[in-house]
Amino acid sequence: MSKKLPEFGTINVPHERAVPFGAVTPAPVHVQELFMTSNWRIVRPVIDNEKCTRCLTCYIACPDSCWSYNEEEDVMEWNAGFCKGCQICIKQCPSDALTAVPELDFPDGVVRLEKPF
Amino acid sequence: MAKIHEITVWTRGVIMDKEGRDIASAFGDAVAMEGKHVQVFDNYEDLPDRVLVTTRKYVRISDEEIEHKYVYTNDHPDVVVVAEPTIVKGINVLKGLKEGGLLIINTNRPIDYMLQFIPNADELGAIATVDADGISGVRTIDFSGSEGGVDAVGVGAGIAAPIVGAMARVTGMAKKENLAKIVKDVAGMERGYNEVKLQKFRKFKSSLGSLQG
Ligand code: SF4
Ligand code: SF4
Repeated sequence: MSKKLPEFGTINVPHERAVPFGAVTPAPVHVQELFMTSNWRIVRPVIDNEKCTRCLTCYIACPDSCWSYNEEEDVMEWNAGFCKGCQICIKQCPSDALTAVPELDFPDGVVRLEKPF
Repeated sequence: MAKIHEITVWTRGVIMDKEGRDIASAFGDAVAMEGKHVQVFDNYEDLPDRVLVTTRKYVRISDEEIEHKYVYTNDHPDVVVVAEPTIVKGINVLKGLKEGGLLIINTNRPIDYMLQFIPNADELGAIATVDADGISGVRTIDFSGSEGGVDAVGVGAGIAAPIVGAMARVTGMAKKENLAKIVKDVAGMERGYNEVKLQKFRKFKSSLGSLQG
């Protein structure tokens, strides 16, 4: 769980965690609830595993890296918390395996925030 | 200081930003035509230039001059208008709502279905729905950089028209006749006025005069 941030998006970076401008940092290890984009969605991409050829085009196309390949189960996995519903993956999928379905057809899957960002 | 009624309009950045702006400004203009004092603010605090991001517009209405001019957000809205229904699933649009306040959603889904997405619906006095997408059949989409705000488009040509009609009917704060002088799609506005569905809860306190629907 991410630690509680001060309100209004102000982040005080502790001195020992500060890096020089332009530094390369490791991949994030925490999920910042404040920056979750699931509530941008009007529709979500739903996958048809029969049609999907695991070509990984969606993995490459998604601007927010929301598709990943689960090698063990041989399926594509979707990150509901960060998908913003831009539909790029749906347009790019060469096998017509992704469909846009209204987010309101599902009871959950969206992180409900207290304020926009 | 006289009582100030606050209306907060929720919409989505770029694709529906103009619609949100039209709702706030057309409704505010119609109320002002009755000699009331009105403030309308656009886009404060949020990110309207990002596609799909939730953004707010604010209206304030009072019988007397509204003296504070430097706070642009509504802390305690009487009415919350949601121009794109999925927003209620992802954000607490009722935050700060006055006890017994009113929520108006643009949707063709039943009120009971929408309530499942609003865990704090017990704060509501009433909820109303209007199928503005169905009535107007358009959603302003414009990536020209002006976000649909070019003069030629006019005010209230899309979903804003039925929504302001619905707002006028259930809040009684603006007159349909005045809205008809402001919005481009007068027929759509009237359909919103006539077709809005309202469900009142026991808690409902009329801070807005008589609610109808
Ligand atoms: S782009 Fe389509 S076919 Fe390719 S992995 Fe993604 S869903 Fe499957
Ligand atoms: S809709 Fe957009 S954000 Fe969501 S998975 Fe597809 S490409 Fe990524």
